[in-house]
Amino acid sequence: MAVKALYDYDFPSADRAELFGDDQLVYVHWEGNPLFCSAACFRVPKALGFGEFVETVVGPWAASDPDFDPTAVRDWRVNGRPLDGSAEAPLTELGIGHKALLQFTA
Amino acid sequence: MTQTAPRRKLPLKERYALLTRDLDWDPSYVTKEQLFPYTSYEGIKVHDWDGWEDPFRLTVDAYYKYQAEKDKRLYAVLDGFAQSQGHLGLADASYLNAIKLFIQGVTPLEYAAHRHFAYLARYLEGPAPRFAALCQSVDELRHCQTQIHTISNYNKYYGGFHSWSKMHDRVWYLSVPKSLFDDAMTAGPFEFLISISFSFEYLLTNLLFVPFMSGASFNGDMPTMSFGFSAQSDESRHMTLGLEAIKFLLEQDEGNVPIIQDWIDKWFWRAYRMSALVAGMMDYMLPKPVMSWKEAFELYFEDQMLGGLFPDLEFYGIRPPRHVQDAIAEKDKLSHEVYKVLHNFSFAASFTTQAPNEQHMKWLAEQYPETFDQHYRPVWEKHHRIEANGGRMFFQGLPQLCQVCQIPMVFTEKDDPGKTSFRSSEFRDEQFHTCSEGCQWIFEREPEKFVQAWLPVHQIYQGNCGGPSVPEVLEWYGIQEGDNGEYKGSLDHKSWIGWHNGDVEQGV
Repeated sequence: MAVKALYDYDFPSADRAELFGDDQLVYVHWEGNPLFCSAACFRVPKALGFGEFVETVVGPWAASDPDFDPTAVRDWRVNGRPLDGSAEAPLTELGIGHKALLQFTA
Repeated sequence: MTQTAPRRKLPLKERYALLTRDLDWDPSYVTKEQLFPYTSYEGIKVHDWDGWEDPFRLTVDAYYKYQAEKDKRLYAVLDGFAQSQGHLGLADASYLNAIKLFIQGVTPLEYAAHRHFAYLARYLEGPAPRFAALCQSVDELRHCQTQIHTISNYNKYYGGFHSWSKMHDRVWYLSVPKSLFDDAMTAGPFEFLISISFSFEYLLTNLLFVPFMSGASFNGDMPTMSFGFSAQSDESRHMTLGLEAIKFLLEQDEGNVPIIQDWIDKWFWRAYRMSALVAGMMDYMLPKPVMSWKEAFELYFEDQMLGGLFPDLEFYGIRPPRHVQDAIAEKDKLSHEVYKVLHNFSFAASFTTQAPNEQHMKWLAEQYPETFDQHYRPVWEKHHRIEANGGRMFFQGLPQLCQVCQIPMVFTEKDDPGKTSFRSSEFRDEQFHTCSEGCQWIFEREPEKFVQAWLPVHQIYQGNCGGPSVPEVLEWYGIQEGDNGEYKGSLDHKSWIGWHNGDVEQGV
């Protein structure tokens, strides 16, 4: 259903990919850890390798939980689908696009 | 000196007619459509504006007389409280965190409501609803003002009470109430009436305001309780306006029924989601809790609204709001999920939080026998362990937000308190996340509107909030040292202990 308005109602999205240039937003959810109220949102380069992303972005965030063990991180999924591919591959090559939801367990 | 006989006092009904409806006229220089350009595009049909009954028959002079009386009483309480250092008699300084949330989150909504009812007072076609909207517009301005005056007394002694108006426009958790009102104010006049007058003022006001006011009285906050009382008769007038508005529109044309049902479905969920902040406040932020969110929800919503109001509306073809069962299903979880956000992120808030202590957890377990010990106690115990080791767990990053309600995505699936509820929609090749079926339904109904949402987290990442680092964002928010973080050891906590031990001279 369209918005009811007195004029042609057409506005761009406030968070469209182009506003982030070579970066994009991704969400990361540590499944089953209620210490974190919600998934986190990060702005990262599209070309960032997945392994580096996990180490330099996800790790420091997850370490807010003193019991976090980086070696236990597994079961990565992107938008609900299992993630596979090399750790060197950039995010976008793994199907991790703007505003994708990543989930893991640890 | 000649004396003239006193003029005959007109009967109330006649006076009302002369002073309100009788002041209306038919336009002669412009058409009715030019004078009232906003009352047809939403698809609502009104055949007879005179069918609008004003149950109050309030005239301007009587209105000002009542309000002046109420103000006099309120300001006497405020003076007495200030002069006797009444703030030292509060249950605990941490109580004021609830009031910080109130002035930052609710008071600006009173002002927004004042603005929009002034617009309705100009643009509704019938003189009776215009006059009712005018009174409500003045009420809302008075509420905003009395709240500012009441709460400003605390600003002398405690953190977090300054800059609330700027914060309302900028701070992440305040985008929840702000975006709801922005959504309503950018809708047409009839949708606004259904959103604010009906879904907000009628369906949920008691649930939102009674807990704050009872919480105030339980915790020694006489001024807040007094402004609550001072607003109460206005609120009952607003509730009646909400009910009158919906009945009038439903009676005017059968074609209005599905449009209004759609708005009830949308606005119940919008207003209910915003009330989650109140749920967290009630169960976790009052040193002396009044009643649990669950109990208040059952009493003020399930019994009074679903049990009392909706059977009456069935006559018009209106059914209970879509997704209402989802709200009922999460009454055992809501406050716990939402307070976790406030606790995780109070380093970036203009209030402080603390993990509930043993005694408080015992109360929570009694109130939530189905969920608390199983799902929430273990997390709080972990927080206690972290704190016992000298730490304090804060979320080192920014949360994912719901595109519609703008609350961090903390809600869980209705049948599984351990599984976060993620909903996602695609629009113009872009992905949008929502926290629930209710918010997803609202998004998909008007995606063109909600893609414009000013989501605080994404705005920070776009560089629109003072800079990329936390201190820069906090400065842009207007948050100062002592406003935020953990309550234990905070400036408020230290002052409170000092004042009560006599170590610190008060007000210095």
